[in-house]
Amino acid sequence: MKRVRERSIALCAVAVGLLLLAGCPAKKKTTLGEGETTTFGQGGTGGGSLDRFKQGLGGSEGGPLQDVHFDYDRYDLRSEDRSTLQANAEWLKQNAAAKVEIEGHCDNRGTVEYNLALGAKRAKAVKDYLVSLGIGGDRMSTISYGEELPLCREENEACWSRNRRAHSVVLQ
Amino acid sequence: MRLQSWIGVVGLVLMLSAAEGRAQVTGRIVGPGATRLEIAVSPLDGAKGVGDRFAEILSRNLTLSGYFRVLEPKAYLEGSAPTDAGQINFANWSTIGAKALVKGTISQSGDSVSIEARLFDVAQHSQIGGERYSGSAERLPQMARRFADKIMEYLTGEPGPFDSRIAFASRRGGRAKEILEMSVDGYDVSVITNNRTINLAPSWSPDAGSLLFTSFMDGNASLYRADVSGRNTRKLSSGRGLNLGGRYSPDGQKIALSIERGGNSDLFLISSEGQVLKQLTNGAEIDVSPSWSPDGQQIAFVSSRTGTPQVYVMNADGSSPRRVTFQGSYNTSPCWSPKGDLIAYVGREHGFNIYTLNLKTNQVHDVTSGQGNNEDPWFSPDGRYLVFSSTRVGKPALFLADTSGQQQVQLTKSGGDDTSPSWSPRLP
Repeated sequence: MKRVRERSIALCAVAVGLLLLAGCPAKKKTTLGEGETTTFGQGGTGGGSLDRFKQGLGGSEGGPLQDVHFDYDRYDLRSEDRSTLQANAEWLKQNAAAKVEIEGHCDNRGTVEYNLALGAKRAKAVKDYLVSLGIGGDRMSTISYGEELPLCREENEACWSRNRRAHSVVLQ
Repeated sequence: MRLQSWIGVVGLVLMLSAAEGRAQVTGRIVGPGATRLEIAVSPLDGAKGVGDRFAEILSRNLTLSGYFRVLEPKAYLEGSAPTDAGQINFANWSTIGAKALVKGTISQSGDSVSIEARLFDVAQHSQIGGERYSGSAERLPQMARRFADKIMEYLTGEPGPFDSRIAFASRRGGRAKEILEMSVDGYDVSVITNNRTINLAPSWSPDAGSLLFTSFMDGNASLYRADVSGRNTRKLSSGRGLNLGGRYSPDGQKIALSIERGGNSDLFLISSEGQVLKQLTNGAEIDVSPSWSPDGQQIAFVSSRTGTPQVYVMNADGSSPRRVTFQGSYNTSPCWSPKGDLIAYVGREHGFNIYTLNLKTNQVHDVTSGQGNNEDPWFSPDGRYLVFSSTRVGKPALFLADTSGQQQVQLTKSGGDDTSPSWSPRLP
C-alpha cells in the first residue's frame, strides 16, 4: 500500500522577481482565494494588461498608441492597421525617450498554447513594422498573453475581433 | 453466462474456466446504451461510517469506468455480513438483478484501518478475487480506487486507471487562473498554485510526484516545476518570452517544451533541471505543444509551417518531421496514447472537437461529435479514456470519455472554467 501524498499550496515556495514572500506553510490547502493578501510588485511596467489584471482591472484599449486587430488565426497586418501604426510611429518619434511593450492577444477560440505562440507572432509583426518605419528596436519589447487576458468574454464575433489585437503600452 | 459491456476492445475477461467449476464471463464491445454489468456494492462489514464510505467511493469509480451499473443500495436484501462465498445467500443478490457483488470487512484501530474486499460472481456463487489493504484512515478513498482498478483487472485483464490524479487549470477561485489537481472521482481536490496570476498547461512527472506548468507569476511566461506537496516550486526555463508546454520524457530525464524568443516559437529539449540540451525545430513558423511517444523515441507536436496549425511527428532528436493530420485547417493539442497506437488532438470542424488518429491505419475518429467546444485531450494511464474540457454545459468543465466517445461523463462543475487537464501516470 502506498502512502498518500500530502499536498499543500505552492504559495510561498517561490521567491521570484517581484514576488518576495517569506516562509512556506507546509499545510494542506484545498480552497482558493479567500481573503489572503498577495503582494505584487508595484510600478515598473505602467498599465500593462497583466498589471491591470493583478489590480483587479479589465484590459485597456488605446492610450497614446492605438491597438491594431487581426483576422482569426492570422498575424499579418491588415492595410487599415498600417495607417494606425504609422500614427503610432509618429508619436514614438515625438516622444523619443518613450519605451513601449507590445502585447499580442487572441480570442478564446482555439488552443491555449497555440494562441500564446500566435500572440507572440502578432506582437512581433507590429514591432517589425514599427522598426521598418524607423523606430529603434531597442525601444520596443514584446509579450504574448494569448487568450488569457481578454478585453471581453462574450461568445460573438464583435467580442472575438476586439480580443484579436496587439496593444502597445508605454513604459515609464 | 455471458456478460456484455459497452466498452472494451479488450474482450471481457474472466479467466475462470467452466471446467474448474467456475464462471466464464466474456464480453465485447457493443453500441451505446448497451448493458453494463449490474454490480451490487455492499458496505464493508465491521465499521459503519468508513465501511459505507468505501462502498460509496468504489461505486463512484465503478460507474465512471463505464463497465458497471451499480445497483441502488436501498434495494439490497442482505446486510454487509456474511462475506464468505459459502455463507452469502446469493439468491438475495440475483433477485435484485446483481450479476457481480462486492462484499468485505473493515476493522478500525485508532487512526488505522484494515480492509479485505472481495468480488463475487453471483450466478456461480463463487469468489472472483479479493484484496487486503491497511493503513491510515485517510487513505481509505485511495483503497477504494485501488479496488476499483483491481475489479477492472479481474474483468478485463487490465487494471483500471482510477488510482491516479488529474491536474488542470481553473478559475474557480475567482479571476486568476490557477493549477489544481484532483482524484479522477473528484472527491479530493488540492491546490498547486495560488499566486493570483495566470498559470497554465500543467503536465505530470513520470513518478506523479511533481507538475510542470507555465506561469506569469513574475511577469514572464516561465516554466516551473512544483512538487505536489506544494513545498517546492522551481523555475526551470525563464528566458524572456514564452516557455511553454513542458512535457517530461517517459524516463523523466528530459523535458520537451516550446521556447519563444523574439516572436518565433520552436521546440527544445532541456534537462530535468532546466539546462538547454538541444533545439529540435528551427523554422519561421509556430512550433508548440510537444507530446512524447510512450517509448520516448518520437515527439508529436503542432506546427503552422504549412500556413495552418497541424499535428506532426518527429524523432526525439528533431529529425524526420512528418505531418500526420490532413483534415481541416486547425489541428492542435496532440496527446500520444500510453499504448502508442493513437494520437488524440483537437480539430476545428463544426466547432472544436476531440479526434483520435490511429497511427497504423491512419483512421481518424471523432470522439466528441459537436457537443460544444472540446479541447485539450489527455489519455488515462491505461489508454482507455480521455479527459478533456468542454463547453457543452456552459463554461468549460472537465469531461471523461472512453476513446470511442460512446460514454461521456462530466467530471467537474461548469462555472469554474476548468481547462487543460493532464492525467497522471498510475500512482506509485
